[in-house]
Amino acid sequence: MRIKLTKLSVREVDMTPMIDIVFQLIAFFMVINNFEQSQVDERVKLPRDQLARPREDVAEDNVVLNIGYIRDKEGNITSQPLVFYLGEQTPLLEFGPVIQREARVLQRLDQKIGETTVEIRADGEVDTGQIQEVIRMAQDAGFLKFTLKAMQGDQEP
Amino acid sequence: MRIRTSQQQALKQGPQMAPMIDIVFQLLIFFLLTLKIVEPEGEFQINMPVNKPPQASSDIALPAIKVRLLANEDGSLRGIQFGERNLGGGPDAFKRLNQVILQTVGADQASGGAASETEIEIDADYNLDYAYTIRAVSACTGAIDPQTNLPVRYVEKIKFTPPKRPAANGTPNL
Repeated sequence: MRIKLTKLSVREVDMTPMIDIVFQLIAFFMVINNFEQSQVDERVKLPRDQLARPREDVAEDNVVLNIGYIRDKEGNITSQPLVFYLGEQTPLLEFGPVIQREARVLQRLDQKIGETTVEIRADGEVDTGQIQEVIRMAQDAGFLKFTLKAMQGDQEP
Repeated sequence: MRIRTSQQQALKQGPQMAPMIDIVFQLLIFFLLTLKIVEPEGEFQINMPVNKPPQASSDIALPAIKVRLLANEDGSLRGIQFGERNLGGGPDAFKRLNQVILQTVGADQASGGAASETEIEIDADYNLDYAYTIRAVSACTGAIDPQTNLPVRYVEKIKFTPPKRPAANGTPNL
């Protein structure tokens, strides 16, 4: 009987499937990561509504105003209503000079204030009158276009 | 002198995978750590023109439909008034508002008006929670078609009245 002598060789782990999976994971995370939401403040609890749909065209020039409260760990409100804007938090009724300053900056950058959209991301528990105050301050600064943000989904009872 | 002929070593030489795997894992960890799951957001456009003197025009603008939102002291909704009609409060108040708006816009369109011309003015109590105002804006704007599950918009123009701060005695400053 003839016995085959096989050569001893170093066995290597096949890396191809692992690299395939890892690249798939990287591609997945790159796609779902939303880097554009940098102006969104997580302290603001937006109201929900079924009809709130994202706009089809992309707004080029916009000013995002996050209006809400500071809350403790249990979710209780611990502050007066604040406007979170560009890393600053300003009491809502003192926001007028800030939006005026923003309007001047935009004008220096040759942006048309009337064409700039003010996106209002307000907490559902803020008084409506205070949102109207912010809108009036923005109007006084020259802004004309406004949108109200809400989460997509069924309304809370 | 003995010369080593390492045929086996020459066969094993290929691209070095270790640095690439290092970088790929670094990227994977970076994306894992920076991942933020953000719920999709939508928006309502509102029409807030600055008060200007009326300009001479051949078109006669339709008067805005007035929707009044009344609040309890705690900021919850007490009731809705549509013009002179009281639609009451409760969880179905916004459904009633939506139906009344649909009837009114339908009647306007039947008499030759366009949906894009209809304007609604929301007059909410100062202390009403903003969540109720958004529901009112939604009820005035349109509804979800139950067959297609897509939004149908009746009214494009929605505006707010100027804010009326409550006076010290609790009555709003007009």
